[in-house]
Amino acid sequence: MTRKQKRLAIIGGGVGFLTMAILLVMFAFSQAIAYFYVPSDLAKADVPPGTRIRLGGLVEAGSVKRGDGKTVTFTVTDTLGQVPVTYTGILPDLFREGQGVVTEGTFVAGSSVFVADSVLAKHDETYMPKDVADRLKAQGVELSGKETVR
Amino acid sequence: MIIELGHYALVLALATAFVQAALPILGARLNDRALMELASSAAVACFLLVAFAFAVLTFAYVTSDFSVRNVWENSHSLKPLIYKISGVWGNHEGSMLLWLLILVFFSALVATFGRNLPETLKANVLAVQAWIAVAFTLFILLTSNPFARLIPAPGEGKDLNPILQDVGLAIHPPLLYLGYVGFSVCFSFAIAALIEGRIDAAWARWVRPWTLAAWTFLTAGISMGSYWAYYELGWGGWWFWDPVENASFMPWLAGTALLHSALVMEKREALKIWTVLLAIMTFSLSLLGTFLVRSGVLTSVHAFATDPTRGIFILAILVFFIGGAFSLFAFRASRLKAGGIFAPISREGALVFNNLILTTATATVLTGTLYPLVLEALTGDKISVGPPFFNMTFGLLMLPLLFAVPFGPLLAWKRGDLMGVAQRLFAAVAVGLVVGSGYYYAMNGGPILALFGIALGVYMIGGSLTDLALRSGLGKVAGNVAWRRFSGLPRSAFGTALAHIGLGVTLIGIVAVTAFETETVVEMKPGMTVDAGGYTLRFDGMRNGSGPNYSEESGHFTISSGGVVVTDIWSSKRLYQARRMPTTEAGIRTFGLSQLYVSLGDQISEGGIVVRIWWKPMILCIWGGTLFMMAGGFVSLSDRRLRVGAPTRAKRPKTIPVGAAE
Amino acid sequence: MLFWILVATLTAAVAVMLILPLLRAAAPASSPHSHDIEVYRDQLDELTRDQESGLISGDDAELARAEVARRLLAAGEIDRAAEPVATTRRGVNIVAQAFVLLCLPAIGLCLYLFTGSPGVPAQPLAARLADPGADINILIARAENHLAQNPNDGAGWDVLAPIYMRNGRVEEAVAAYDSAVRLLGPTPARLGGYAEALITLSGGLVTTEAQSALRRSLAIDPNDPRSEFYLALGLKQEGKKDEALAAFNRLVARSPADAPWVPLVKQHVAELSGGAAGNVAGAAPGNPSADDIAAAQDMSAGDRQEMIRGMVESLASRLKEDPANAEGWARLIRSHVVLDQRDQAAAALKESQKTFPADGEQGKQLLALARELGIATDGETQ
Repeated sequence: MTRKQKRLAIIGGGVGFLTMAILLVMFAFSQAIAYFYVPSDLAKADVPPGTRIRLGGLVEAGSVKRGDGKTVTFTVTDTLGQVPVTYTGILPDLFREGQGVVTEGTFVAGSSVFVADSVLAKHDETYMPKDVADRLKAQGVELSGKETVR
Repeated sequence: MIIELGHYALVLALATAFVQAALPILGARLNDRALMELASSAAVACFLLVAFAFAVLTFAYVTSDFSVRNVWENSHSLKPLIYKISGVWGNHEGSMLLWLLILVFFSALVATFGRNLPETLKANVLAVQAWIAVAFTLFILLTSNPFARLIPAPGEGKDLNPILQDVGLAIHPPLLYLGYVGFSVCFSFAIAALIEGRIDAAWARWVRPWTLAAWTFLTAGISMGSYWAYYELGWGGWWFWDPVENASFMPWLAGTALLHSALVMEKREALKIWTVLLAIMTFSLSLLGTFLVRSGVLTSVHAFATDPTRGIFILAILVFFIGGAFSLFAFRASRLKAGGIFAPISREGALVFNNLILTTATATVLTGTLYPLVLEALTGDKISVGPPFFNMTFGLLMLPLLFAVPFGPLLAWKRGDLMGVAQRLFAAVAVGLVVGSGYYYAMNGGPILALFGIALGVYMIGGSLTDLALRSGLGKVAGNVAWRRFSGLPRSAFGTALAHIGLGVTLIGIVAVTAFETETVVEMKPGMTVDAGGYTLRFDGMRNGSGPNYSEESGHFTISSGGVVVTDIWSSKRLYQARRMPTTEAGIRTFGLSQLYVSLGDQISEGGIVVRIWWKPMILCIWGGTLFMMAGGFVSLSDRRLRVGAPTRAKRPKTIPVGAAE
Repeated sequence: MLFWILVATLTAAVAVMLILPLLRAAAPASSPHSHDIEVYRDQLDELTRDQESGLISGDDAELARAEVARRLLAAGEIDRAAEPVATTRRGVNIVAQAFVLLCLPAIGLCLYLFTGSPGVPAQPLAARLADPGADINILIARAENHLAQNPNDGAGWDVLAPIYMRNGRVEEAVAAYDSAVRLLGPTPARLGGYAEALITLSGGLVTTEAQSALRRSLAIDPNDPRSEFYLALGLKQEGKKDEALAAFNRLVARSPADAPWVPLVKQHVAELSGGAAGNVAGAAPGNPSADDIAAAQDMSAGDRQEMIRGMVESLASRLKEDPANAEGWARLIRSHVVLDQRDQAAAALKESQKTFPADGEQGKQLLALARELGIATDGETQ
């Protein structure tokens, strides 16, 4: 091979690989990303059952019910809308009623219950998931860092 | 007074860095030796000043001087001494000061050990280092001053986030920063080369040890962070593809590529321009990581700063350095002469292949990390790009590289023989397949990909050993000759083999955990038993206890195997009083390389509790592999061939070795 | 002063470090290519070693050697062709020195004066605990520690409650007043303070809880103007205009004409009887007004410290004018002890004995208190 051919081979291989990578990324984006919603969005947006989404909001006070130990149901609210959620597993340390939470999962066909397979309430007591905080603020929900006084 | 003196020292360090940024580069232009030599003194002075400032801040923490706002915000008089000290960098301001300290420390190292560097190159490198130092010192002084005072001083501090009060997190940031900032030296060398418009042979010899040192520290830092997340968060995961993790992983990937391309450049004077570009990219990714973590753009426990001025300041630094570096590259890269040629099938070719894949993989991680930010800025849609995306893209892209790893060291420079190498690797492939299927059988099935993954890991280990065996002529020459040859092999050969073995070990750990891990979530009452990984756990009950600053509820589990009690596990939930913060202290027991991992959930009626039990087969391989990689890095660093010969050897009797690790 | 001397020394030391290389007469720089030559020589040596140890075959070694040798030759040619290296230029050097001498103090001082707090001493906690002086935060922290160990020291709560109030730690003030009332029994001062803290906590609203405390206070002392005032304010807030007006009028009638709260009460009266709306903020007589409380919360910590010191001082000066107040003395002594000012407590005890000799009933009580608190009672009759 001449010098030019060698270069061409290397460059050609590189371009081919890059094209492959770009196609792969595009495919992955179409498959593996989840949109973020708050409960009031879901009335407007039509999320087909089986699509992975992230649902964020506040855990409605008094809504947490433990089923047969492992399964927990609670309601996520943004004060305008509510979505019932079921989750099987261990809730994070900082999961509390009235606190912000982000859940990820899907809607089951023929039901309005959101089945979450992961629940996030990150490891900082002042942590409010940023997505949730932004959206709630946009809807005029006042978020004070403190819990109710006394 | 001592506090204010420390503050003044930091300001003076800025002035010194300013001098160091301006005069030496002028000296290099005018070829004025005195001005160039100023760079070394300034670098040392700057380091001493910043070190003094850092020592003063540490002193303030140790003595609980709450008249320093930063101490008040992050310390408590009753905290153990080690967490008082680690509290210095357990917060935004202090960690930026640590960043700066490490930066000027590296500058001082270049100044002290770089006496045998070409003078203009050294002057330019130190000047570029000083630009970075000026930018970050200004950032610290103007937006995140750790020496801000609080008058009158409060009587008690607010304490450090309990989750950060951990030995793992005490050493994780310094290691990570040694890695991040270590790449600044490579960056400075690249910029200096572009300014001078030439790259000499000494350049590559200098850049490689720095890359190696930074890479080794970064490996250690990432590995430490991953293990911390594993045992401290109680989620049982060891890698979450969290943006903050990606922020440190991207420089590591690019740094790995740089390590390999610098090799080609040193040996063959090829890939010059590409290496310069990679050096710029690697440090840019380090800066981007700092920006993502420090600006609060991403919400995470690492984002101490939510102050937008900080974000904008760091963004400005980012734009200046990355934009400036790439523009300089665009204007000057053509002046660098292209180097030697090689056939596509050759050691060089293999390393190019490595670089191609690593940079592409870095690009996919970067895309996945930034895409949600960009999309939100453009359309307002909020999306999350989670592990499935990264596993799909990154995992698939890396696969061919893992195959090729053992080929690289076996191929000859310039023109290699692919078939010959494949034949020599046949044994490794065979061993891999046998071990893989044996493990697969022992684990009673699982996804067929697991068999394949384990085999791949074993093949990588075997391939690396094959390389060492072939080089020492094992089997061809007499045993004692082979041993002599083996012990005479250059250390870098051992370094390469160790690092590649480490990669194989980590891969085995990842595959085994992913494919054969079992997870059980059960509601347990005292006396109940659960099976996991061939062991039986019996829940004995709960106990209340308390520590110095927390109260806890612990569950006790007895572990037996075949009816015989082997050991026991305590797993607990803690409540830290000062911040009313609950944490999970998972109970972990190690069996060989595998672990049982027990974390507690909510209590239910009558002493019952929800328990999550994982059996994590071979999980220690994940971090064990990184230990091999680090060992490889250090062994390679100690290779005497990396030391640059001094042209003035006759005048100076002693050659000063290169590298931080010596 | 010492600080500025050290600053000057530090700056000078760094300046010397930077100027020194400029002053040295430098030898000409070596050509950069000589470094390359050295590297290539190393590579040749390495090739020879590898070949000797049998790591590479003879042919490969020859090929590689030829390549390195070519580079070596090329570097050598450039090296010879390179122009002689320029040495230090005098003018540039002087400008550089001036730059260093100007830059260090200019940047250093300007920025430091902008960001720093010169003259503020280091305040390690150990030293502050050893000698608290007037460090109110340490004093509060100490009092808190003391009360954490002796939660039944009612007098401690009694002292701490108004301090909390003035520091804007209203919730803690409520709890402290509550403890004081529980442990020492109700007095108009404690109940009034408790109610005031509750009112501040609810943002100025006279809650039912506050009202019941105020009524208890009035039951003890029907003439307590503060309780009367807040009750009247509560009536006004409930919209019971006539009753509120009557209550305010009663208060005015009973108060001395020059009492400091009279204008405020009159303002309320005017408002209620349809007059011009004025300042609505309530102020209880004899105590910091709501305005004052609000001001205390906005105040810098230094001012707050002044205010608290003022409180203890005003009690002391009142006793100086009117020493026939055994309860006042007891309170002053306790305050000093809780704030860990033992010397001053002892002094106060001595002072009190001028009015209440140790053989009198009240003098004995004071001495007993002092002994209980562990104060040196040297004036005591043996």
